[in-house]
Amino acid sequence: MLEIKNLHKSYGQHIALDGVNLQVNKGETVVIMGPSGCGKSTLIRCVNRLTEPDGGTIRLGGIDVLSLGNSELQDLRRKVGFVFQQFNLIGRLTVLENVVFHLVLGGMDRDEAWARGRSVLARVGLKAAEERRPHELSGGQQQRVGIARALVTNPEIMLWDEPTASLDPILVGEVLEVMEELVKTTATTMVIVTHEVSFARKVAQRIVFMDQGRVVEEGVPGDVFARPSSEVGRLYRKLLVN
Amino acid sequence: MLVFFRDGFYKDLIILLIITVIVGAVFSQGIAWAIDTYFGDTLDGMIGEYGEYDVILHIREEAKEAAMRELDRIGQESFPGYRIKESLTIAGQANFFFGFPAEHRTKEVLEAITSYFGAVPGISGYTLMVEPSVLIRGVHPAVREDLREQIEGLEGVRFAVKDGGNLVVVLSHEDRIDTVTGAVESILQQYQILELRFPMGFEVDTQEVGNQALKVLRAQGLSGDRSYTNVTSAEYGEDLDAFLKALVEMRDFLGSYASQVRISPEPSARLGVGELIILEDGLIIEVTGVYGDLVEAMIVEGSPVQSTDKIVQRGYRFLGEGERGEWIGNVEIENERYRLAYAVDESLRLLEELEELSIQASNAVDNAEAVLITFQEALMQLEVLQVQMRQLNEGIAGDGINSSGEQFLLTILLNGLFQTLAQGVINTGEEPLDSLQNLDLEAMRKSLSGISEQIGNVQETDVAAIIEQIGFVRDTLPNLNDAEIGQSIRLINTYLGGQVIPGERIQLLIQGKAVDEKMLEGVFQRELDNPYLHTYSTSVGMVTPDARGELFRILKEVRSIVAGMLAIIFTIIVLVLDHATIFSTLKYVRASGKPVRKGLAGLLNPLIFLGGALGSLILTSVYYLARSEIPFFSLPLIVLLGFGLGVLIAFMAERFSPVNSMELMAAQSLGLSNVQIMREVVIPPSRPGLLNLLNRFKQQF
Repeated sequence: MLEIKNLHKSYGQHIALDGVNLQVNKGETVVIMGPSGCGKSTLIRCVNRLTEPDGGTIRLGGIDVLSLGNSELQDLRRKVGFVFQQFNLIGRLTVLENVVFHLVLGGMDRDEAWARGRSVLARVGLKAAEERRPHELSGGQQQRVGIARALVTNPEIMLWDEPTASLDPILVGEVLEVMEELVKTTATTMVIVTHEVSFARKVAQRIVFMDQGRVVEEGVPGDVFARPSSEVGRLYRKLLVN
Repeated sequence: MLVFFRDGFYKDLIILLIITVIVGAVFSQGIAWAIDTYFGDTLDGMIGEYGEYDVILHIREEAKEAAMRELDRIGQESFPGYRIKESLTIAGQANFFFGFPAEHRTKEVLEAITSYFGAVPGISGYTLMVEPSVLIRGVHPAVREDLREQIEGLEGVRFAVKDGGNLVVVLSHEDRIDTVTGAVESILQQYQILELRFPMGFEVDTQEVGNQALKVLRAQGLSGDRSYTNVTSAEYGEDLDAFLKALVEMRDFLGSYASQVRISPEPSARLGVGELIILEDGLIIEVTGVYGDLVEAMIVEGSPVQSTDKIVQRGYRFLGEGERGEWIGNVEIENERYRLAYAVDESLRLLEELEELSIQASNAVDNAEAVLITFQEALMQLEVLQVQMRQLNEGIAGDGINSSGEQFLLTILLNGLFQTLAQGVINTGEEPLDSLQNLDLEAMRKSLSGISEQIGNVQETDVAAIIEQIGFVRDTLPNLNDAEIGQSIRLINTYLGGQVIPGERIQLLIQGKAVDEKMLEGVFQRELDNPYLHTYSTSVGMVTPDARGELFRILKEVRSIVAGMLAIIFTIIVLVLDHATIFSTLKYVRASGKPVRKGLAGLLNPLIFLGGALGSLILTSVYYLARSEIPFFSLPLIVLLGFGLGVLIAFMAERFSPVNSMELMAAQSLGLSNVQIMREVVIPPSRPGLLNLLNRFKQQF
C-alpha cells in the first residue's frame, strides 16, 4: 500500500529525514514512535506532500507520489485522510461544514454530503454539535471533528500526526477510544504517529521506532516491547512497564 | 511558486486587478473632481459666473452702504440692465462686482471707468475682470499703442483696453483664448528692451548716453532687420533715487558719528578691505579702506572706552572665536560720538555759567555806579575842604612869622589829613586834589552804562531756551554703539552695492530679431568707456491668464495633485488589504515547497517581482487614468514608486494580512485545489477589501 524508500528531508542545516525506508501493507495499522524532533511528523507529511521531501521515493497504492502534478496530487490527497495534532479546523465554518465542505467542493451533491457528514459525526459522538463552531468545542471534541473530516471520504489510508499531543490528559481518552474503535471496525490502512505506548501496543500491528531521522527498529508490538534492540525501543519499554 | 495560480486563481487575480484599477481611477478622480467642483462653485459664488461681471470696485468698508446706493444710481442711469454684487470685505475694503450689459461692454466704457465711478463714495480703486480676455502685464509705454494696434487686428479680438501698466485684450469668445494668447506672444517676441544699468553713484545723461548706445548698436552690423529706439523712461525710479540719496546721507552720517579708527600697519602686514582685526581689549574692527600707509576701519563688535583722548592699541588679525593671529600694527581710535556728547554737555554747562555770570556782572556794574557817585560826592567835599584849608593857611600866614606854636601845628595837621585823603593822586606828582579833579567821571559813567546795557542784552537772550534745545539735540542723537553703527553701514553698503537696486539705466527698444545682451555687454563697456555697466534684456509685456483663469489653473493643478496622492494612497490600501493576503499565501507555499535553490537563482525571489509588478501596474494605471499629475513625479518615477510599494508590502505581507497556516494545510490535505483554497479558506477571513468583496460571489461556504 505504502512504500517509502531512502527518503531525505532537511530544514537548512537540520536533517529531519535521513534515508527512511518504510513499507505499510494494505489494511495494516502501523504506529510510528520516537522522541520529539526525530522526523515522525515530517515523514507522514511527506506521504501526501504537505511537506516536499528532498529526495527518495514514495509509492502509495502503486503511484509514485513525488512525480504527481498538481491536479493528480489533489486527487491523491482526497484518498488520504490526515488527522492533525492541532486539529486544523476551519474556524469560520460549523462542525458539519468542516466535515463536508471538501466533499461539496469536490463535486458531491450537497444533500448527500450533509447526510454523510452527519453519519460520520454520529460515529465520533458529535451529532448534537453539528451547528457549533470549533471554538465552542473542547479540544477532544475538536479532534473528533478532525477525525470525522478525515474519515468522511472513506480514505484508503489514514495518517495520524500525534492526534492526542495537544489534548489535556483527561481528554486524551475520548480520542483514543474513537481511534481504537476505528481501527477495529474499518479496514483502512493506518499510519499513526503517537507517544501513547499503551494505545500503540493495543492497536498496532507493527511498531516503528525512529531516531534522528532514521528508522532504528520495527516489529510487532510483542517483540519490540519485549526485546527492544534500539535505545528508543528500550525507553518506550520502560514507559510501558511503568 | 507562481504555479499556485495556474489552476484558476489567476483569473480571479486578473478580474481583481481590472476592478481595482477602475475603482482606483474612479475613486481618485471622483474625489479630486468633487474638490475641484466644490472650489469651483465656491469661486463662482465669490466672483460670479464666467463673464458675469466686468469690474471689481474697491470701496472702503465704512462707505459701502452709500457706495451701493450710488452704484445703483449710476447703473440705472448709465447702464440699464447692469449687474451688481457685493463680495468679500478684505482688510477694511469692500469689493463690489459690477457687470455691464453687453451693449455697454465697449472699449470706451472700460477706458472711462474712473469717470463713471470716480465719485462713488469711498472708492479706492478698481480691477478689470472682463471675460473672456487675455491680460498683458507690464506693457512698456513706448510700445503700448503700437501693440494695441497690432493686437486689435487679430481675429477673435474685440478690442484692447489700457489698464494702468497693463493691456486687457477683450475677446469675442472664450474659445479664442489660446489662439489669441499665442498670437500675442508672437507679437511680443518681436520686441526686446535692452537695458544698460550703471552702478550706484554714476550720474548719466540718459538721453545723450542712450543716443551713444544706439550708435554703438547700429555700428555692430548685427544680422537681420531691426530698428532701435531710446525709450528710457524718465518717470521710472524717482522715488527710488530719493531713497538711495537718503541712504547715502545716512551712511555718511553714521560713518562720521562712529568712532574713527585708523591703523598704522606694520610693513609686513598686508591688509585688505573687509579684513577683521581684533584689538587688545577684544574690540573687533573691519578694514574699510586702504590708502597706502593709512588704513581706515570701523568697529563691528564691542564698544571702545569713552574718552575724548585718542586711544592706541595693538591690533591682531582676527582668526574667529576670539582667536588672534599676527600683530598687524597699532590702531588709533577716536571716539567722535563721545566727543560730540562731551562737547554738548560742556556747552550746556557753559550756558548755565553764562547766565549766572550775566546776573553777577549786572550787580557789579550797579555797585560800580554806586561807588562812582560816592566818589564824586567825596571829591566835592574834598574841594570844599581844600578851599577851607587854603583860607586857613592864608589866615595863619597873615598873622606874621611870630605866630604861635599852636597855629603852626594846626597847619601841619590839616595838610597831613588832606594828603592822606588823596594819597593815590599825590603819588602822580601833581597837586593832590587837581589829580582827582582830572578824573573823567562822565566817561567812566558812560562806560559803565555801556557795560550795563550789554549785560542787559545778554540777560534778554533766552538762554533757557538754548539750553533746552541743546538738551533736545543731545537726547535725539542716535543711541547706537559702534558695533551697531558698523553693522548698519555694512548693510547699507550691501544695499547700495548694485545687487539690490539698480543705478541709472538706459532702455533701448529693439524691434525685430532679438539680440544677445550678454554678448553686447563688453561692447557697451568698451564703447561707452564704463567697465561697470551691465546689460539686461526684458520683454515689453508678459501674457498672463486672467484672474479667474489663473485660479482655475491652480484648481486644476490641485485636482491633479490630489488625484495623484489619492492614487498612491489607494494603491497602498489595495496592496495592504488585498494583495498582502495573496503574498502571505505565496510565502507559505514557498516555505513548504521544494527547497529554494542556492546561488543567484535562489536570490531571485519571484514574490519580489510579483509584488513590484502588481504595485507598479496598479499605481501607474490608476495614476494615469485619474489624470493625476504631481509636480516632479514623472511617469517612470510613478512606475518605480509603485514597484517599491509592491515590494515593500510583499516583504511585510504577514504583518498586514497573515494567513492561517493550519487551515491552509488542512485544506491542502483534503485535496482542495489552489483556487478553492484561496476562495474558501484564505480570502474569507482576510481583511475587508475588494478581494474579499469579489470573492463573496464565488465562495460556497
